[in-house]
Amino acid sequence: MEKTISYTRQEHIITRQARAEEALLSQLDAGDYTPQHPLVQLNPYFFAPLCALVLFHTVTPCEVTVRVLGKEPAGDMVHRFPRGTRHVLPVYGLYPGWDNQVEITLENGEKSRLSIPTGPLPDEVPQATSIDTTAAYMGDNVMVLTAAMAATPVAFDYRGDIRWYSTEKLNFDLKRRPGGHLLVGTERFVGMPYYTTGVYEMAFSGKIFKEYRVPGGYHHDHFPMEDGNLLILTQQPEAATVEDCCVLVDRDTGAILKRWDYKKVLPQDKGGSGSQDERDWFHNNAVWYDKKTNSLTFSGRHQDAIINLDYDTGDLNWIIGDPQGWPEEMQRYFFTPVGEDFEWQYEQHACMVLPDGDIMCLDNGHYRSKDPAHYAKAADSYTRGVRYRIDTEKMTIRQVWQYGKERGAAFFSCYISNVEYYKDGHYLVHSGGIGTLDGAPCEGVPAQMKQGPDGDRVQLGSITCELVDDQLVYELRVPANCYRAEKLPLYYAGEQAELGAGKVLGSLGITGEFDTPIPAEETGELVPAHYGARLVEEDDRFTFSATYEKGELVQLLLCGEDGSTHRYFINTAKQSFKAMCVGTFQKADPRDVDKVISKEGLSGRYQVKLICDDKLYETGVTVTA
Amino acid sequence: MAVTVKEMDGAALEQLVKTGAKVLADFYSKTCGPCKMLGFVLNDVAKEVDGVEIVKICFEENSTAVKAHRVEGYPTMILFEGGAEKARLKGLQQKPLIVSTIAG
Repeated sequence: MEKTISYTRQEHIITRQARAEEALLSQLDAGDYTPQHPLVQLNPYFFAPLCALVLFHTVTPCEVTVRVLGKEPAGDMVHRFPRGTRHVLPVYGLYPGWDNQVEITLENGEKSRLSIPTGPLPDEVPQATSIDTTAAYMGDNVMVLTAAMAATPVAFDYRGDIRWYSTEKLNFDLKRRPGGHLLVGTERFVGMPYYTTGVYEMAFSGKIFKEYRVPGGYHHDHFPMEDGNLLILTQQPEAATVEDCCVLVDRDTGAILKRWDYKKVLPQDKGGSGSQDERDWFHNNAVWYDKKTNSLTFSGRHQDAIINLDYDTGDLNWIIGDPQGWPEEMQRYFFTPVGEDFEWQYEQHACMVLPDGDIMCLDNGHYRSKDPAHYAKAADSYTRGVRYRIDTEKMTIRQVWQYGKERGAAFFSCYISNVEYYKDGHYLVHSGGIGTLDGAPCEGVPAQMKQGPDGDRVQLGSITCELVDDQLVYELRVPANCYRAEKLPLYYAGEQAELGAGKVLGSLGITGEFDTPIPAEETGELVPAHYGARLVEEDDRFTFSATYEKGELVQLLLCGEDGSTHRYFINTAKQSFKAMCVGTFQKADPRDVDKVISKEGLSGRYQVKLICDDKLYETGVTVTA
Repeated sequence: MAVTVKEMDGAALEQLVKTGAKVLADFYSKTCGPCKMLGFVLNDVAKEVDGVEIVKICFEENSTAVKAHRVEGYPTMILFEGGAEKARLKGLQQKPLIVSTIAG
């Protein structure tokens, strides 16, 4: 008979990466690795299978140029590394399932070539179904798509060939700091539907420099400030509402420096979109800081509203959105449309403030009305990138550009998606949440429908476009739903390997406990096998998972050596979400529930026990905090 | 201080509310984990409060009362006083919030 439930001790990825890197460097220094016979480690940081580290010494200091040979010359990925004698070179842009040829050229012209074979793509990595652009247009750039479903983040070159992907569920927005590091949501899940611990600062090699953890978890978006601090979208831990707070996080310590709570400036039961509910009343899916006006702009999908707050005071400056249904005292914050062809945005994403003060966003167009009697059917809907010009003195708004309406329902994403601004007339419009049921546009969120009873009949799609002066210069189609698209080069200027252990910053907060004990019979037995109970312990938390019957009364107990008992309620009720921007964490069996418990606030060793209805079971597991 | 948690039907609830008494009505379902948990919480609450009737109304068996009070999900607690609704708590709640809601 088993004495414990399934138990796994999992080190933080930063710890694993540091140890692996140290071992690799020791191997380099102990060996005789030369440009002709270098040390090569594919996927050195476990996150990026199409990256390798190539390591060798040279007798004299020299610059090194690395060239991954493309399937045709335009596909070459080239980067020059600074002068040195100990060379640790991240090699980006390998092809999957390919015997990659990599050319190493020293400053003195000496060349060598090595072969780096890679494994095939995992099934969950979506491949391009079509791409229409040119190598000249894309240059060294790749298009990174982050996941909305089980699909993992992936980068496509100008041919639609995959040149990078991650095996980890890195989520929501991926953007680059001005210094070159990437910022992306972590894969460390904390709660349904898609909240994770925070944001990773990392390289395309997979090397994580920092994890910024925030109590309450991360969702949707983050924004690097000029001084390096980070704006991160979050919520009050253990609160009754979600996705309605933003925090400013110190780039060095992870400490929360400032907080904005939109409940202080907005009514929570007014102006609702078709997807609003009491818990997710605002659904903040984007943040932007504008230095000129010292203000923050947030997108709230579930109020069809883009709001602007004073950075210092948090006061509401204005709201872009259809004012119907908002109370009279709020009307002064809304704009009056002027000009022709004006349309409001509905359930929008990715708001941004352009250099001239214009506001741009991805207008999903979900429901396209405030009035339930006039909600648009998916077949009649359209998604578009839109640019508005606002006059905050006269409180007028003019639509100065849009792209997407003309593509009709075939370009309709009721959720996710984004726009990017490169310069006036040069934009990205990503419609990443397209879904059809038997060929007709899905009436519902495709990510949820794919997991439902008709999932086999649901086809997912994503179309990413770029336009120059309204001419389509790029179009990528992928058979998956993808949260955002971001075009960027794999290497940033001056990039080189940054060695040394990463840092885990910030705080997970204290997991809320339940005061009331449940009277239960002590069985002295292990949790019955049909629950499939399992526990994964990490440095800063643990996750207890099991499969329950609907409506079962469940409480997890931590029984300390000091006689203390910590109780955590586990909700076994079927949960419904009106948004599923990232369905990555949905399980095939919704009865399979994860309970994540932070170790903060705990100290010592705790036996883990489980109450199911009126029975108390042992897990045989002791966790240490 | 202590009161007893009672199970009653919708008609009895209406009668009780009409008396003007302070009533905390818990609309629950027998097939809901949070409702079961709330049952234990209310038993605990009952030990600390006075001057209030705490009653449980089965959601599935009392559709008239559910509609009359616009109860959209369970568990939902409604506090009545003077014959009218004074407060509403949706979802599972902990004892301190319920006690303070009853206290007004």
